[in-house]
Amino acid sequence: MTAVDALDAATRPRLWRAAKFCLFLLTESAAVLLIGFAALFLNFQPAWSGGLPSSGVTRPGDAKSGSLLLKSEQGYTEAIRLGVDVDLTVSGPTIRARVTQLFRNPGKDWVEAVYVYPLPPGGAVDTLKMVVGDRVVVGEIKERQQARIIYEQAKRDGQKAALTEQERPNIFTNSVANIGPGETVLVQIEYQEPVHQNGNTFSLRVPMVVAPRYNPAPVVQSVEFKPNGGGWGTNSADPVPDRDRISPPVLDPAENAPVNPTAITVRLQAGFALGEVKSHHHAVNTEKVSDGSQIVRLADGVVPADRDFELTWTPAAEKAPSVDLFREHVGDADYLLAYVTPPSADGAAQKPMPREVIFVIDNSGSMGGISIMQAKASLLYALGRLQPGDRFNVIRFDHTMDVLFPSPVPADNEHVQRATSFVSGLQAAGGTEMLPAMRAALSDSNREDSSYVRQVVFLTDGAIGHEEQMFETIAALRGRSRIFMVGIGSAPNTFLMTRAAELGRGAFTHIGSTEQVEERMRTLFSKLENPAVTGLSAKFSDAKSDMTPQVLPDIYRGEPLVLAAKLDKLAGSVEIKGRIGDRPWSVNLPLANAAEGKGLSKLWANRKIADAEVSRTMRQSTPEEADKVVLALALEHQLVTRLTSLVAVDKTPSRPDGETLKLAELPLNLPHGWEFEKVFGERMRKAPVERRADDARVQHAVLKRSPVPAATNAAVTLPKTATDADIKLAAGAILLGIALLLFLITRRQYRPL
Amino acid sequence: MCRTLAPLLAAAGLILFGQGAYIHAKALLAQVLLERAFTQTIASGRDTKPWSWADTWPVARIEVRRIGASAIVLAGSSGQALAFGPGHLESTADAGERGVAVYSAHRDTHFRFLKNVRIGDEIAVTRRDGRMFRYRADAHSVVRFDQFAIDPLAGDYELVLSTCWPFDAVTGGPDRYLLHATLIEQDQPYVKAESSRSIAGISSFSAQ
Repeated sequence: MTAVDALDAATRPRLWRAAKFCLFLLTESAAVLLIGFAALFLNFQPAWSGGLPSSGVTRPGDAKSGSLLLKSEQGYTEAIRLGVDVDLTVSGPTIRARVTQLFRNPGKDWVEAVYVYPLPPGGAVDTLKMVVGDRVVVGEIKERQQARIIYEQAKRDGQKAALTEQERPNIFTNSVANIGPGETVLVQIEYQEPVHQNGNTFSLRVPMVVAPRYNPAPVVQSVEFKPNGGGWGTNSADPVPDRDRISPPVLDPAENAPVNPTAITVRLQAGFALGEVKSHHHAVNTEKVSDGSQIVRLADGVVPADRDFELTWTPAAEKAPSVDLFREHVGDADYLLAYVTPPSADGAAQKPMPREVIFVIDNSGSMGGISIMQAKASLLYALGRLQPGDRFNVIRFDHTMDVLFPSPVPADNEHVQRATSFVSGLQAAGGTEMLPAMRAALSDSNREDSSYVRQVVFLTDGAIGHEEQMFETIAALRGRSRIFMVGIGSAPNTFLMTRAAELGRGAFTHIGSTEQVEERMRTLFSKLENPAVTGLSAKFSDAKSDMTPQVLPDIYRGEPLVLAAKLDKLAGSVEIKGRIGDRPWSVNLPLANAAEGKGLSKLWANRKIADAEVSRTMRQSTPEEADKVVLALALEHQLVTRLTSLVAVDKTPSRPDGETLKLAELPLNLPHGWEFEKVFGERMRKAPVERRADDARVQHAVLKRSPVPAATNAAVTLPKTATDADIKLAAGAILLGIALLLFLITRRQYRPL
Repeated sequence: MCRTLAPLLAAAGLILFGQGAYIHAKALLAQVLLERAFTQTIASGRDTKPWSWADTWPVARIEVRRIGASAIVLAGSSGQALAFGPGHLESTADAGERGVAVYSAHRDTHFRFLKNVRIGDEIAVTRRDGRMFRYRADAHSVVRFDQFAIDPLAGDYELVLSTCWPFDAVTGGPDRYLLHATLIEQDQPYVKAESSRSIAGISSFSAQ
């Protein structure tokens, strides 16, 4: 009995203790779970080591995750509304465009609105008007810095002011200060642009949105192109010093309705009886005024500014005139604009030279969606057009790069097949590191073999912010290669395309939709396959002339030579000479026959300015010399350039003292067909800096061909996939165990025996 | 002394245990939310975020029916995405497309089941557009994290599931376990339709 009792007495407290311990464990695990769930989606950094370091978050990137935030900040996106009206008058060879931007402030604050918008790269902006109520203030051309000071002064003084600045030859910024609550301010700019001609087709293009640009981080990569490159300090210059100015917020189309409604009217006076008039990306209504004159309007009234407007027209006659001369008298000078289309050489007369074609395709994130499909289709078409005697290679790039073959290979069935499957498998993702790809394309391994014509066909949307570095690369490395740019997508960077093709002595074309692929690529190939008109020169018999382009470019099949000149008198004739293939060609044009044109002086000045910029890139003149030329021309002809801006100030102060001014940067649409995640999502998750830091990490897929198969392939870094969950669980359990043990021991010590 | 040490040790143990449990809890609960978001993605045809402030979204479901394993895959393979589910490596192909699709996840959470997958097992991948592709596991290998490469010219339809190796190590290491699988069946001839659409209108596509 006593034994049982003793046992009983001994067990009961032990049981109780066990129960207490169980209770302890239970509360503990409950606590753990509670903590766990509470903290579930907070980011405790240390446990996850797999991720790449997050890069400096860009502002458009913020827009993605912060759409709610925007509203709480006094309605950042709500504050200012914008409407755009584009009115184009085509008279013969020139386009006069009037772009009216309407800024409405529905909010309760005084606002400064900043709107970044594109214009055609050949556009010469010469007029700024600001309409406030019933007052019209006309802008004046000033040196950029000075204009800025005037604007800032007016802004501080509470006066309404507008400022038009050039960020790139095709990107402009309008700033409007002191828009009062409930007020509407109209800002109107005007520009002059030449009509584009290709074969029988005339065209104009109105870019409507600045596509998000890939702006590389500052790296030392640019060392070799710095003229005074010495220490690290000077070389670490940012390749895109004005990245903030060309990166306005962009709205995610999935979360926001399109903004910036735009109306377009084209008054087409072609100067000849019109045949087909076609808008390529927008539905339009046309109204016939006469045989040679039509008015084209958007069918829907307004469209969101998310893609380029493209209009082409052809003459009703079989062939467009091969020579067009226009003149204008301004001040004491005559200006002449000539379009001369050389006759196309008949291919049978001479055997075409075999070609070495390097295809470069951009598969960066900005190409996501429709663009990559167009680019792939274009490249597949191009591969199919290669002749058996040709050589070719394919390069693809995003922030990495692959060169398909170690050196250009004969275009036989097997190689073309391989290239075809390589291209078909491409996906759009990542950053846009265009420089290494351009360098690889221009590295000419068969330099001494002059029996081949070397051509680089570059397919991209050009969504980069460091154009100048691209141009320097082309100028330095072009050698005998000729560069043909193919602009892909709904809002390509036309400035990059035209200037790169000019520096690369090639041509460029746009592909804005899948339907255009075949037609445009066929035209491009007729340029690639037929001999160019080379060695062009022009001579005026009587008049003293200042001609532009200074060095006449080579002309490809179907293209006209566009020549602008400033003359002291309109007399005599101009003789244009050149070689078509290996045959001489010349044409003599009497100036007296020239038709009256409008705005030619501006076009001449704008083209001269482009010449100055090109010669600066080519190192034919120093930056100071180029700046002097640009500034003089800009001030004389009232043009907005890199160095000059238009500024308009309404002298009547409107904002009362004490009211603060808020800045509103107007958000842009994402270009049509783009995928938001591909551009901003990727940019946020990836740390491009890491990949870009050294060129050695660029993957030359087959260049580094070695017996080890792995080395020939695109390396993929596998993320780290172990958590410290288990080790923590184990360590925690062990510690808890020890604690329990100690607990028991101490209890035992106090137990009376 | 023991009296003060015991609660201290208990507290430290609790914190460590809590952190470990937190990782698992996060992985488990996230999958529930992801499952819901993925169902919605398939139904609506739009990417759906599993919770409003997420910086990733579900792109596929991986299932190994024999062992009853299933996981929702997220876009991207950043560490933060991997905390919630397996990640689809951005630079690799989509499931069902020509090329190698690589999915990666933690060996101690979502891809713990990988060690139980046998050669010959069937792996089903449902994409966000609702199409399902079935793969057969046909090999496994162990490579260093920076030694893995994809042959861009290979014409195969391949799937690679990657996680850390060895499975029961307690610390991270440079080695990765790869399970290779080849496409055996798809519910629709998707690839053909896609490529013929993207080159529509190009008559001379076929290389001479």
